[in-house]
Amino acid sequence: MAASIARDRWQPSAALAGPASLFLIGFFVGPLLLGVGVSLGVRHTSASATNLGIALYVRILTDIYYLEVMLATLLLALAVTAATLVVGYPLALAVSRARGATRTFLLFLIVAPLLVNVVVRSFGWMVVFGRSGLVNAALGLVGLPMIDILHSWLAVGIALVHVLLPFMVLSIASTLEGIDMTYEEAAATLGARPWRQFLHVVLPMSLHGAVTGCLLVFALCMGSFVTVMMMGDNRTMVLSLLVYQQLTVVSDWPFAAALGMVLLAMVMAIFWLQARIVRALAP
Amino acid sequence: MNWQRRRRLVAVGYVGVAAVFILAPLLVVAAVAFTSANFVSFPPTGWSLRWINKVLADDNFMRALANSVLLGFSAALFAALLATPAALALARGGFRGAAELESFLLSPLSLPALILAIALLFYLARLGLAGSFAGLLIGHAIIVLPYMLRTVLAVYRGIDPSLEEAALVLGATPRRAFLHVTLPLIRPGIVAGALLAFLVSFDEVAVALLLSSSSSMTLPVAILNHVTHNYDPAVAAISLVKIVLVVAVLGILELWFGLDRIMLTREAR
Repeated sequence: MAASIARDRWQPSAALAGPASLFLIGFFVGPLLLGVGVSLGVRHTSASATNLGIALYVRILTDIYYLEVMLATLLLALAVTAATLVVGYPLALAVSRARGATRTFLLFLIVAPLLVNVVVRSFGWMVVFGRSGLVNAALGLVGLPMIDILHSWLAVGIALVHVLLPFMVLSIASTLEGIDMTYEEAAATLGARPWRQFLHVVLPMSLHGAVTGCLLVFALCMGSFVTVMMMGDNRTMVLSLLVYQQLTVVSDWPFAAALGMVLLAMVMAIFWLQARIVRALAP
Repeated sequence: MNWQRRRRLVAVGYVGVAAVFILAPLLVVAAVAFTSANFVSFPPTGWSLRWINKVLADDNFMRALANSVLLGFSAALFAALLATPAALALARGGFRGAAELESFLLSPLSLPALILAIALLFYLARLGLAGSFAGLLIGHAIIVLPYMLRTVLAVYRGIDPSLEEAALVLGATPRRAFLHVTLPLIRPGIVAGALLAFLVSFDEVAVALLLSSSSSMTLPVAILNHVTHNYDPAVAAISLVKIVLVVAVLGILELWFGLDRIMLTREAR
């Protein structure tokens, strides 16, 4: 009898996950390991680049230019993450509270830009900020002088907030959706004002989604180079764009790989730091 | 009551401002696409379809569009074939290491695409696949696999296992139970995941930029190349064509499945 019960249980074999796992081992883990190897100059085809050891990493971490680019990358990612959180949280709240047609409209508003290419959106911002663009047309209407904010950190930052906002809103809205409305009702019944209900009930319960959103936006921001390439210039250099330039303009593969690994290490360091903080705050 | 109304007003006002911020660059692109001028300016000085007609007749853009569509379909299909069986095993398996395996299969999500792109560039060059469509397909399959897996997993986990058990108890072979019970139940997840995978691939630029050659170039790469060399309304026109295509797919997604079911599953692992 026991045997027949066991047979009647639905138990797909773990082997079904085999093809996907093998594919990722072969074409995801393999290339990443090779990338580490290339950054160390191991088995690189050009004779001069055999076995560089950690020389490239030493070069990156002792050159003031690369350190400045790393700092700028970090500050930009932190600023964009903070701005996205501030702009995105109320939107997520609105999505989670809305019903019916309003909800569909809000979701469409948030999701549609996500699926409009980052190149197209950056081009849109180029037109908005450009010399004969929307901002300057509006300034002209009220008689103010033209400004040139394209090719500045501000323009890069605004465009990045626009590009990454959907990820923040969706992460926060996902947790807000899961919050049982009865908690708020209970707080209201017990006499809490709406503002206190939000501060003491909703906000703490949605922190998880906010943290997830911040990490996602931060990681994506660290890796964004297309927007920076289109909106910025030589003064607004970030690590990811430097990697891309080393690869395509300079064709220095080992150095590009080493810079890429430094970028990856910075992203992972933030994830690690976040895990430490969460563990420290947990009761 | 007064407080409620004021709060509502603030909410509507905020969403309005946010909507302007979110839609402004997209609407600007749409407007510039219909300009009659030779240069990019906003607001446009006159209206015409000349730039739309020009890009629709442009071999370069149209080949890139065909490449993008083909790549999106292939990547979605490939990812569906890998992710669907994996989702079956992970959702019902309960074997040792299932949670770790799931994290591993979802891990391409948390790696910056640029890092994946350079690593694959080195790797594919060694395999002699640099610049080929196959190389591009491998890159995009890696990127869309987690989206596919997550969507199928979310749908499958919402289905009561007793339905499959009932089929087995009633004498169905596992094969018949899968074909007649499981597969029809998870089909919405597979279709939604594949559409999402298509859209992600259709939009992806970092991997496509580094791995494609002039013959396998995708639409986002063609647009980027064009905008770095000439800043003219053709970019807006081809962008608008792309936006219309994406919105159409998104509309289908909403009609068939509901956007919130697909987009708000990030935490539903």
